[in-house]
Amino acid sequence: MLPNTPMHHDSQAIYLDHAATTPVRPEVAAAMATCVIEDFGNPSSRHTWGRSARSRLEEARERVAASLGVSAATVHFTRGGTESDNLAVLGRARSVAAATGSAHVVTSSIEHPAVLEAAHQAVREGGTHTVVGFDQGAFDMDALRRVLRERPAVVSCMWVNNETGIVLPIPEIAAECRARGAPLHSDAVQAAGKMPLPAAGIPGDLLTVTGHKICGPKGTGALIVQNRHDLRPLHFGGGQEGGLRPGTEDVAGAVGLAVALELAVAETSTESARLTTLREEIETGLVNSVPGLRVNGRGLPRAPHILSLSIQGADSDTLLAALDTCGIAASGGSACASGSSAMSPSLAVLGFDAASAALRLSFGRLNSRDQVGRIVAAVTSAVERTRALVVS
Amino acid sequence: MNGRSARQRILVAMSGGVDSSVAAAMLVDAGHEVIGATMKTFCYGDEEVAVGTRTCCGLDGIQDAKAVADRLGIPHYVFDVEREFTRDVIDDFVSEYSRGRTPNPCVRCNSNTKFRDLFRRGRVLGCDGVASGHYVRIDRDAGETRLLRGLDSAKDQSYFLWGLPSGLLDRLHFPLGALTKAEVRSRAREMGLVTADKPESQEICFVPTGDYRDFLARKLLPIHPALLPGAIVDHRGRVLGRHDGYSGFTVGQRKGIGGGLPEPCYVLEIRPESREVVVGPRHLLEVGGVVVGDLNWLTAAPPPGTPLHVQIRYRSPLQACRIDSCGDDSMRLSFDRPASAVTPGQSAVLFRGDRVVGGGRIRRVTTSSRTTRRIPASAPAAPR
Repeated sequence: MLPNTPMHHDSQAIYLDHAATTPVRPEVAAAMATCVIEDFGNPSSRHTWGRSARSRLEEARERVAASLGVSAATVHFTRGGTESDNLAVLGRARSVAAATGSAHVVTSSIEHPAVLEAAHQAVREGGTHTVVGFDQGAFDMDALRRVLRERPAVVSCMWVNNETGIVLPIPEIAAECRARGAPLHSDAVQAAGKMPLPAAGIPGDLLTVTGHKICGPKGTGALIVQNRHDLRPLHFGGGQEGGLRPGTEDVAGAVGLAVALELAVAETSTESARLTTLREEIETGLVNSVPGLRVNGRGLPRAPHILSLSIQGADSDTLLAALDTCGIAASGGSACASGSSAMSPSLAVLGFDAASAALRLSFGRLNSRDQVGRIVAAVTSAVERTRALVVS
Repeated sequence: MNGRSARQRILVAMSGGVDSSVAAAMLVDAGHEVIGATMKTFCYGDEEVAVGTRTCCGLDGIQDAKAVADRLGIPHYVFDVEREFTRDVIDDFVSEYSRGRTPNPCVRCNSNTKFRDLFRRGRVLGCDGVASGHYVRIDRDAGETRLLRGLDSAKDQSYFLWGLPSGLLDRLHFPLGALTKAEVRSRAREMGLVTADKPESQEICFVPTGDYRDFLARKLLPIHPALLPGAIVDHRGRVLGRHDGYSGFTVGQRKGIGGGLPEPCYVLEIRPESREVVVGPRHLLEVGGVVVGDLNWLTAAPPPGTPLHVQIRYRSPLQACRIDSCGDDSMRLSFDRPASAVTPGQSAVLFRGDRVVGGGRIRRVTTSSRTTRRIPASAPAAPR
């Protein structure tokens, strides 16, 4: 069965790329619209307009703090996940390097490039970088304990891996770091608002969240700074956000993030249960209809919204193009534009075979159970057609 | 649209250059449903390419192709064809040079990767045909599908397309075949395409530095005979000097042979078994015929004796010839008048009028002539 017309954005199209980004919710858009049109003042101004914008900004800060169970003073708005990650890793490394001459950065082997490249930059600035790996998909806690003896400037471990959905044991990692006095940063971009976070509050010291993965705006995130580990800012200017992120605040973005996070957190238990069911139905359907298909991270703790598949004897580029042509939006691993076809470390730690295609289906508000049959049929057909191409 | 106006779904090979950009735009204008595709043919990380190097197949090419596709409002995909390309083009390139021949990698790519492998991917996307920005024409009016030279003789690229699988001809679209390069650039400017003023690609895409000897040195063992010193001898067998690897020579080349000889010397022959490079005066380059292998026909194979024209290098003129004998995989060809600088490894492409009949790869020369004739100073073919 060959598709007849590409169906971009038409009623039959199915968006399965919520880990790449999500549509802004109407409630979020409405709150942001009010902000940009009415409360447009500069929060640093002392007049009525400025005070009104300031109050919107601080209210947003409190709502983000309440959603995460932290205090408002810990919330620093940034221009997104990459900036929060850079600020946590490089800002911390530069601070330690200024005091001691050299900074040691520790990360897991499967971090997002926003963390890994910041660590590489710390190395270029004279620091060192240690990577903690995985053993059969499980984070190597012994290796972390060994490296903690070296008193690293910062440890950075993501909460949920963006390519595979596997969940790292952040509370345990935080306990180890706390015992050794090492600051822990966690990129929680794929976790906050996607799955229930610990009721006891956020473990660790630094936490990255962003708006656009949870139906909020692109270009607004936050870095939560819980304990007094000194951070060097990456930008210089008027001292906004406690000096950590100077520049006139994006009040509408902050409000958008606050509303989106509040809604996502309020709905986390029902939405994560709904998406888990959806994912399991699709997973079962595909396992039964596509021979040579493997579910990456099966048996490990996984976030509800990401299904990572290895498909033997297919190539990822063609499979994704074939899916796109019949109206299914998915991705290979992550949607980031690296231009590289090198094996992803995130997939490698789960035993991914290089001769397979990686396919990531990620779910969210645009998906429902009545799509399951069409998703399974479309993926099955695209895999069959793509496999016919494989070079012997 | 070459006699076919029905709306089709067409996959366009977009290198990121101006030609394929305009080809895609013309198909969109003609009402087709167009999908852009750029092939990733080799691993860019393996090559030490200076940042900003702009070759048609590099990563910049992918970005430019994406930008053009966005501008045209069409989907664009990148296909990794590295395994096929390595097997069919790069390995062949290395093997031919190691045997003392001068290959046309662009012919190999067009014969295999660019159309066959791309069309297979197109089928997965439900495409009816494949298009490219080559300056050639497809004519479907006479009840059969004929591949014709491009109307602009300065840009005609039919030389590079003799190896197309004949069964694919009916599926191909070459929108630029009736245009000149200047017209293509001007259309690109009118449409505001970012690639409008991009320079022509001059190098082989997988050797962006242009130093193919360095590329071979990295692909072959250092003790490969093609890279070892050998003798430069004249046509009588006298040793005239030494060279540092026959892979650096092409039949017909003059420079690089050293001075001190009584008259200008040209490479006449490369003998891989003894590593000798044979040189001699210009008139000895003239030959009466060739053996051509790896044949491919885009018409029924013409019977021996049929008067035809042959092109033995890109940009060399057509010359009259006849097929003496023809087997399944090779044929003997005689030129009506002696031809010069006939280079093993290059393509011999046969034409009847404007129509590409078929072609093959020159394996060896057959008879030589002593007639002195005008010889163009020859250089290896430019890419396409």
